Amino acid sequence: MWDNFNRLVMANLHTLGVGLSVTGYVCFCAFALAVVLGAIACLVRLYVPFVRIVAIGYIEFCRATPIFVQLLWVNYVWPEVFGFPKSVLGAGIIALALQSSGYLAETFRSGIEGLPRGQREAGLAVGMSHIQILRRIVTPQVLLVMAPSIVNQMTVVIKSSTLVSVIAIPDLMYEALKLVNTWFEPIEILTSTALIYVLTIFLISILAKRVSDRFRNKFGLAAHA
Amino acid sequence: MWDRLRESLDLTLFWEYRAILLRGLLQNIYIFLAGAVLATVLAFVIGVARLNKHGTVRLFSTGYAELFRNTPEYVFLVWVYFVLPVIFSRLLATKVSFSPYVASVLALGISYSGFLSETVRAGILAVPRTHIEAAMALGMSRWMIMRRIIVPQAIRRMLPESLNQYVSLFKATSLVSLIAVEDLMYQVSMITVHEMRPLPLYTGAALLYCGIIIAAAQGIQLLSERWRQRGWA
Amino acid sequence: MHSPSPDARHATPKAGPIIRVVNLHKSFGPLEVLCGISFDVQAGSVFTLIGASGSGKSTLLRCLNLLEQPTSGEVYLDGKPMGFRIEADGRRLPDTAANISRMRSELGMVFQQFNLWPHMTALENVIEAPLRVKRFTRKEAVETGRHFLGKVNLLDKANEYPARLSGGQQQRVAIARALAMQPKVMLFDEATSALDPELTGEVLEVMRALAKEGTTMLVVTHEMGFAREVSDRVIFLHNGQIEEDGPPGVVFSAPKSERCRQFLSKVLH
Repeated sequence: MWDNFNRLVMANLHTLGVGLSVTGYVCFCAFALAVVLGAIACLVRLYVPFVRIVAIGYIEFCRATPIFVQLLWVNYVWPEVFGFPKSVLGAGIIALALQSSGYLAETFRSGIEGLPRGQREAGLAVGMSHIQILRRIVTPQVLLVMAPSIVNQMTVVIKSSTLVSVIAIPDLMYEALKLVNTWFEPIEILTSTALIYVLTIFLISILAKRVSDRFRNKFGLAAHA
Repeated sequence: MWDRLRESLDLTLFWEYRAILLRGLLQNIYIFLAGAVLATVLAFVIGVARLNKHGTVRLFSTGYAELFRNTPEYVFLVWVYFVLPVIFSRLLATKVSFSPYVASVLALGISYSGFLSETVRAGILAVPRTHIEAAMALGMSRWMIMRRIIVPQAIRRMLPESLNQYVSLFKATSLVSLIAVEDLMYQVSMITVHEMRPLPLYTGAALLYCGIIIAAAQGIQLLSERWRQRGWA
Repeated sequence: MHSPSPDARHATPKAGPIIRVVNLHKSFGPLEVLCGISFDVQAGSVFTLIGASGSGKSTLLRCLNLLEQPTSGEVYLDGKPMGFRIEADGRRLPDTAANISRMRSELGMVFQQFNLWPHMTALENVIEAPLRVKRFTRKEAVETGRHFLGKVNLLDKANEYPARLSGGQQQRVAIARALAMQPKVMLFDEATSALDPELTGEVLEVMRALAKEGTTMLVVTHEMGFAREVSDRVIFLHNGQIEEDGPPGVVFSAPKSERCRQFLSKVLH
């Protein structure tokens, strides 16, 4: 089995590596976009009087639709209706971002609503504007308190990214499946791929947890689910 | 753009094929039910094992939970379908193969048992120590305490979160089309090839899932609220 | 200009009262918490509000800096109306957010729960508003911050996070934070109520010192000893109305209102 391993996996390490870097790129862009969209949706939902219905609808849709379904929908329907995304890469990133933005919006909302009222009042009392309070008082605390949920969403993005192989984005899963289809030897390739994913996700979540725990202990901020 | 939008929201095509699509959805539901049962059983075993007094047992069960919480569902699904039969074949020296259904149920069940085991563990831990101590002080046996005090309360505390997990499990059944199970998405792809009109079909599928999940989530909310009012969870 | 002047005397002799409250009403839904409150506060005086829980003391204070919106009535800070402006033709219009923020910065508030920002050090808490609201340079802000931290005897804790400070220390930092904006009036909303008894002393000490310097202070408190010693005027609130109003000597020894008498007898034994 070991020479199989060498023949199949080690020899193709470069290809798999490139695939992994594509995965990394897709996940990074998707998560960044998700944070932006989620923050906007959350703020609109909380503070903008009429449009908040749209925000609520958006959030519910993003959370309720399976990622696979969203992926196919964005990839096949959006270009016809909206004119973008123009590439499968864009479709993959947008779909992943959509999914996570829903959860992140709810996470941010939970954080904002959980913030003691007095924190904002102290800002108001010294004459800070609402924007200043949001930027300097609310956002840092929400990010710190909700860090575990946010880190969890990061791992969800990485796990969901395996699906973008279906629309022919050359990520790690795509390359692995291509190898399997070329060599018809699934064991070593798929097991290795699975392990790569597991290890990557595990390491990232441990690292992120470590960093966020250190900050939270420094500020004495309570843990949140 | 607007007529394209109208076209994608024009669900008559979806309605036309409703028989086939519903049959596909039924596959999702069957796999969901079977997977949920498997996941629940495994979750209890692992969840309880994580609280076992032997360190090794705890280590292995925690390893199990961590492994499956960090494994992408799609990767695991493919692995169970392609690799596991080969491993069994070699071990048992006979040809083993899984039908896509079996592979789906196994993969999703095991995958989600990781998450659920955490819920089970949290539920058991959430039973206040004082309740257990009171029972011990009254002379109840370990087994009786487990059965009459811990399990009922633990299950109540687990319910809201585990229901959310089940919803996630149902969403994950959408993946099974990728190993050729003739579920909803599979049928949608087939019809698209036939009709060459992806807009209403994919949009319809998205809205259908969306509708089911939102309805389920609302139902769970209502139930959780009612349980909370009764002082259950 | 922006240069801070330490130890600014807040009591610049002016003709009118520094705070004027006219017929203030506040309802929360059907519940009317303030039922027509009117009083004046002179610059440099210490004004204490006492009363049972639910009498509306905190609500009254919070209406002064518009953390609560009065249902009707007016508040004037140094002659200028708070929360609304009067047009040339005499019409009343709600004030802009920017104006409200500016006027709030002229009132300093100290909260019962301190409300220090946990992700900033003590010094950063104190300089945040001078930096962002008054647009001090960093150097000026830090100078001001350190000055006022020194005033509350916490200069050595300047770089500590609130999580590491005791309740009394946190409250003193909160006082420094309010003082750093050099407000015209300091509002204390039950500043010692959330503190363990042994820690109230250090905070009351600071408040006493501020009073002696001539800071205009409005204090909601249960600390009757402090109220009696330090106030120039005491108001007893009951069910949203002023039932007793006078110098501490009179209110504490010979209150006219029966309810005030009852309240004091319960609280002072």
